[in-house]
Amino acid sequence: MLRFAIGNLLSRPGRSSLSTLGLAVAIGGMVGLFSIAGGIDHLVASTFELIPGLLVQQRGAPVPLFSTLPADWQQEIEDIEGVSVVNAEVLVRANVIEGKTIISPPRFVLGVDIENRLRLKNGVYAECMEEGRFLRPEDAGTTNCVVSRQIAEEFGRSVGDVLRVNGYDVTIVGTYYSGSMLIDVSILMDIGTVRSVSRYDPDSVSVYYLETTGEIDDETVSRRIEQHFADRRLAEWDPSSAASRLIGPEMSLTDLFRNLDTLAKAGELDRPAAERSPEEDSPEGGENSERDALSESAADSVSPVEVRSADDWADEFENFMTDLDLFLTLMTGIGVVIAVLSIVNTMLMSVTERRIEFGILRANGWSRGHVLSLVTFESALLGVVGGLIGAALGWIATHVVNWTFPERIHLHAGPGLLLLSIAFSVLIGALGGAYPAWHAARLSPMEAIRRG
Amino acid sequence: MINVENVTKSFRRGDTEIPVLRGISCEIPRGAFAFIVGPSGSGKSTLLYLIGALDEPTSGEIHVAGRRLDEVDQAGRDAFRRTEIGFVFQSFNLLSNLSALDNVLIPYMPIGEAARRRGDAIELLKQVGLEHRLDHRPAQLSGGEQQRVAIARALLKQPSIVLADEPTGELDSENGAEVYRYLRRLQQEQNSTVVSVTHDRSYIQEGDLVLEIRDGRIAE
Ligand SMILES: Nc1ncnc2c1ncn2[C@@H]1O[C@H](COP(=O)(O)OP(=O)(O)O)[C@@H](O)[C@H]1O
Ligand SMILES: [Mg+2]
Repeated sequence: MLRFAIGNLLSRPGRSSLSTLGLAVAIGGMVGLFSIAGGIDHLVASTFELIPGLLVQQRGAPVPLFSTLPADWQQEIEDIEGVSVVNAEVLVRANVIEGKTIISPPRFVLGVDIENRLRLKNGVYAECMEEGRFLRPEDAGTTNCVVSRQIAEEFGRSVGDVLRVNGYDVTIVGTYYSGSMLIDVSILMDIGTVRSVSRYDPDSVSVYYLETTGEIDDETVSRRIEQHFADRRLAEWDPSSAASRLIGPEMSLTDLFRNLDTLAKAGELDRPAAERSPEEDSPEGGENSERDALSESAADSVSPVEVRSADDWADEFENFMTDLDLFLTLMTGIGVVIAVLSIVNTMLMSVTERRIEFGILRANGWSRGHVLSLVTFESALLGVVGGLIGAALGWIATHVVNWTFPERIHLHAGPGLLLLSIAFSVLIGALGGAYPAWHAARLSPMEAIRRG
Repeated sequence: MINVENVTKSFRRGDTEIPVLRGISCEIPRGAFAFIVGPSGSGKSTLLYLIGALDEPTSGEIHVAGRRLDEVDQAGRDAFRRTEIGFVFQSFNLLSNLSALDNVLIPYMPIGEAARRRGDAIELLKQVGLEHRLDHRPAQLSGGEQQRVAIARALLKQPSIVLADEPTGELDSENGAEVYRYLRRLQQEQNSTVVSVTHDRSYIQEGDLVLEIRDGRIAE
């Protein structure tokens, strides 16, 4: 039966291969499109795995880069039950490196409190060192830095070399590589150095990265921190301040869209970031007594900080992914419809030409069901071949793209997606053959023979 | 064996009913060698296909091997054709994509018995003188060889009935005579009933049953 079906397909090589090709293109497109989603998923998952701690940032800031918090909150956060180590981070964009304007992929100068950073159980960067060494307490106040392997390679630098970032010379003492496109974007230095070279407000930090003691669950700790600061006031996160830092947001497309959205709504981009102080109208705790009575939920709603865990980020991505998947499904749908039509056409032509054959088969005891299965089987075979070729094409294409743009795009076509698309292709083939098969089975055998 | 009782068959062409068979009754005993003769368009093939359950009569009853065909369901008819009836048509008996051997095995393909019957099929092709043509496609065979493949296919199922519709219609007399030699051997060795439509009365022998159709009825 298999040989028979293959023989029938091979006896019309041109037509069979064209419709197989059509299917292969549709399936390849499907793999390609869904590898975008797969890539984002993969990247996000692998990134969050590397960042197990909690991030305290200004409420409303879409990404840490846009957050500003008072520097003296560090001690307060440390004192909160369940918190173990708190690390202040100052994040600025590296706009110009070695005279080259950096747009994409983005680069960041990350200032960390080195001594404190080393106390983290999982410091994200220290664990991923490749060459040289991580920052040491004695690097405080110096321009010694640790850069990602990608940055070192991009500018042809290695350990011991000097790199010119935003107009300052820094010395590379080590390189790291995490494998996540979202993490391998930084130049790590002492927080004090970063503040002075970028004229960052000495009383501010961008975010706090913290680890918990592990005795209390993250969610409770998060709520405690948010509640603790509920009575403080920070300037609302001001989207216009983000204007100068907008290009190349750190996290994702969603954030980019949202930033643009917020900016569009805000409508004013004229206020320079430097004018802004995070504590503009933050009182020195004078209103504490009046606010103590506030209920927990009310307190939550006004807290000027938000604490985000990897899970929160993941949830946000989940929403984005749902939208993306819908879009990809629509796109794939178009290709699939075309492929199905091409299969229907091929099989219908083949069936019409083979009326006599089916008559002979029926006269020799084949039932309608047998004829139906034969035709469906042939067209499912087209689906198998088209699916295999398409999945292979799609897979190769994702690798070519990843290899060509290693730091811009990460596509991921996992075995799940590949198998699914092949199965889907077989299904398309079978469905596309269903109508022609029914058509073939319906023919009266006697009429077919008489015409012959 | 075969009992046709007052069978009529008409075809619809547009709005008009065209009666082809107008009340045919005949009986063909087991093991007979029967011919259906008559002018072209008289309904010979139509009657043959009715007996082979490829089509259904407009009215009347047909009994074959103890069954009343109109009472047999579709699956039963398929099985009946597969196991008991061997068809040999004038032409277009073979599938062009299959070798001679696979063409012989067609009835057994969908039920997964082709492999088991392979040895028998080769043996039968030998018997009809095609042992060197097993892997040949129909296009590589002469008309006579193609008909012999069709006969081998009919033989393989050891049918109780062989229905042949002008099996020699496109053959020269030598090849035609050979086809009838095989059909007669089949009738004698397997005690099958053979019913053949022909317009060439020279193949008819003493003792054969001859049914002549004229004006949609059996002529006496
Ligand atoms: N499926 C059909 N539809 C319409 N007319 C048919 C059909 N089958 C047979 N006929 C008509 O029935 C008549 C008898 O046909 P047939 O049995 O093939 O004659 P024969 O085999 O004796 O030459 C012819 O006139 C033919 O045109
Ligand atoms: Mg005829």
